[in-house]
Amino acid sequence: MASRSLFALRVIPPLAVRQVAGALSIAVILLIWWWLTSGATPEARVISPSVFPSPTEVIAGFPGLVSERNLIGGIAASLNRVFLGFGLALLIGVPLGIVAGSYRIVGAAAQPISLFGRTIPVAALLPLSLQMFGIGELQKVMFIFMATAPFVFHDTARAIAGVHDRYVDTAQTLGAKPRQVMSKVLIALALPDIYACVRTMFGIAFGYIMLAEVVDAKAGLGFIMLQSQRRGMPEHLVGTLFVISALAFGIDALFKFFQRGLFPYRDDHA
Amino acid sequence: MSTTGGGPKPAFYLVMFALVVAVIGYGVYRFKDRLPLGDLGSMSVDDLKKALEAPDDASLTTFKEYDKLKYQEAGRMPEVKGVSNYAPLVDNTIVFALNVWAGWAPIILANNGFEPGKVWTSPNGRTFKVKLTLIDDPVSMRDAYAAGKAHIGWATVDMLPLFLEQLKRDSRTMPRVYQQIDYSFGGDGIVCRDAIKTVSDIKGKTIVLAQNSPSHYFALNAMISGGIQPGDVEWKYTADAFQAAAAFNADKKIACAVSWSPDIYNLAKAAGNKMLVNTQTANKLIADTWFMRADVAKDHPYLAEGLMRGIFDAMEQLTTQAGKTAAAKLMATGYSLPEADALAMLGDAHNTNVVENREFFLNANNPANFQRTFETAYFLYRKVGALSGDAVAFDDIFDGGPLTKLAKDPKYAKQKNEYQIQFVPTTALSVQAESQEILTKAVVIQFFPNSDSIFKMVTKAVNGKTVDEMYDPNVKNVVEEVGRLAGQYGAARIVIEGHTDASMRSSGMVTAADVQELSLRRANAVKEAIVRKFSSLNPNQFSTAGIGWDRPAEASDANNNAKNRRVEIKVYPLEQK
Repeated sequence: MASRSLFALRVIPPLAVRQVAGALSIAVILLIWWWLTSGATPEARVISPSVFPSPTEVIAGFPGLVSERNLIGGIAASLNRVFLGFGLALLIGVPLGIVAGSYRIVGAAAQPISLFGRTIPVAALLPLSLQMFGIGELQKVMFIFMATAPFVFHDTARAIAGVHDRYVDTAQTLGAKPRQVMSKVLIALALPDIYACVRTMFGIAFGYIMLAEVVDAKAGLGFIMLQSQRRGMPEHLVGTLFVISALAFGIDALFKFFQRGLFPYRDDHA
Repeated sequence: MSTTGGGPKPAFYLVMFALVVAVIGYGVYRFKDRLPLGDLGSMSVDDLKKALEAPDDASLTTFKEYDKLKYQEAGRMPEVKGVSNYAPLVDNTIVFALNVWAGWAPIILANNGFEPGKVWTSPNGRTFKVKLTLIDDPVSMRDAYAAGKAHIGWATVDMLPLFLEQLKRDSRTMPRVYQQIDYSFGGDGIVCRDAIKTVSDIKGKTIVLAQNSPSHYFALNAMISGGIQPGDVEWKYTADAFQAAAAFNADKKIACAVSWSPDIYNLAKAAGNKMLVNTQTANKLIADTWFMRADVAKDHPYLAEGLMRGIFDAMEQLTTQAGKTAAAKLMATGYSLPEADALAMLGDAHNTNVVENREFFLNANNPANFQRTFETAYFLYRKVGALSGDAVAFDDIFDGGPLTKLAKDPKYAKQKNEYQIQFVPTTALSVQAESQEILTKAVVIQFFPNSDSIFKMVTKAVNGKTVDEMYDPNVKNVVEEVGRLAGQYGAARIVIEGHTDASMRSSGMVTAADVQELSLRRANAVKEAIVRKFSSLNPNQFSTAGIGWDRPAEASDANNNAKNRRVEIKVYPLEQK
């Protein structure tokens, strides 16, 4: 039964099998990468070292990445920017979203601005943020803020609006005042969805870091990648990519852990 | 986990506590001190000496052929190994990457636009076509070239060391440089606030520019020449020169910006701003070239000379108004510019003909030649930590075969070096009365007491033997450095000021006039040594002055005799005609 049902439609395999499948796909990709970039001389490789580094070169480049390129300082700088920018987006987007979800007239008024904010290409925000906030640290934080706040606002408002009317009706029947309905019903019931949105958005905010660090960064993961590109050090570029993936994975696992702890009554944590 | 109902588990509170501690710790870390930034480091005179030293035997001829460049001997250029690895030449068409820049006018004209169509012919009768591809971003250009999608790339000479970090990894992607296209002539410049009178005023201030670009090289070179360490300046980096101009415009705290035409001229016009220096004055600092993949060059040896001839011939066409108009029309289409802008752009660069190319690549005596420009860029970028690997020798990438052949071709025999500034002899006094200096380079030369000879030999006893030694062995380096500066700032007046110490002032037996005359003779000796070594320099570019003991190097340290026995080199803009 086991081997047949693994390939049956929508069957969830056991955890161990899923983990092996994930590991296998990584192994296959590594193997292809290794094969494309191996050879006795640089010229014997399928892909030239001027174009893409080999896995061994990336590993060999790691000590330099840490010591010479200030990887740890870069991680701290990037996380700092993302935390500040995204934190600000939460601080402003979540309360506004709650108000907009609770009072539909506010939501209607905010709708066009929110739509504009969500559809503007994120790369176009770069010159805009430069104009408004200069080229210093503020610009990098505000870039992350501008790129994420409209989504945080929109998803929060939608989560609040999505709370079923029967809960509101019940609360009002029991004599709850509007403020009580907001805090005890709307926010309380929407919070798991808001949290899930925050978790997704944080991953996206982290992905914007390279764009945020294009101008005068001096430190940061995006900065290291841009510098590696400019200086022709693809092994550091690829190494930093792995660091970013590992960080994003770790942070997401932390988010997931808290999601389970905070909202144990919901079982839809992906 | 499919818990339904119930509170969080104890482990959750444990992690929550750990997180709170971490957040507090992070906050302490953040506000205690700022993030570690890369240290630009400082530069000692010794470093400068090491990198700027080029062995040289003084010669009196204007043109001094290099002794043994690698291309002159079979098998000495780096070997191209393996199987060629570039996109095939479809319909015999080579892909030539270029950027938005006036200097490319000749090839655009020669190719009759960007698209392949015109048939180019090489001297042995082989034909080929050229597709010009606009790739403005240098990193994307280099990567397209490395992947073999572009067969030819563009670069200013100062960018080559940066490209080589990646390209030297594979013998097939090593660049082959054959031809100089142009010198930037007003295309690049440093714009500052009015309060910045001279380069040394930038110390402690903020300068904004595109990193690892010709702007960066221009600024670093001006700082080092003007006596400021890179670490003494607050550098702000933008992605490109347009952003640098915009940042300077938006933020009044930024003291200077390095950018391109036309932005620099628009910025300089605004109230409170000024042009500190541009490449009309530093007219031999930034040189443009193209380079071919080594495997392409090996497989198609006829390409380089064919391209060079076509480009050189178009340069002659461009000296006429009809040629300029035709080129501007083609550039307008290829670059998506208004035609008038394209025409105005042409003045930003001076295209270099065969004679000027020979002067640039093959004259060992030219203080602003390819070798010196390339090596200066290596030196500057190493100092700021932008380069770390082994340096590539300039003649590992320069192949002078086609140029040597063209230089002997009777077709180009009547060409002259048209990029020489005519200097009217003048005095230091009138040069200094006319304008503020752009930068001052202080160099210390130890003179033998009462002597004005800078090559003074003294006899010393070393290990029991008597040997003749230079009184100041550093003189050769000083002459090299100052010669380079005069070469790069080829359209600037150079004033050499001699200074003496005041050790004899208290004796009362020596007058100010005496030391003034001695210091003038010393300044003249330095000038003579420079024009003797770099005979391509025009002696009239230099003026000398004797200051005597009047101006100690540092007012706070007026009795430091060693510091005071010095020569100061000042660079002034050429007087307006």
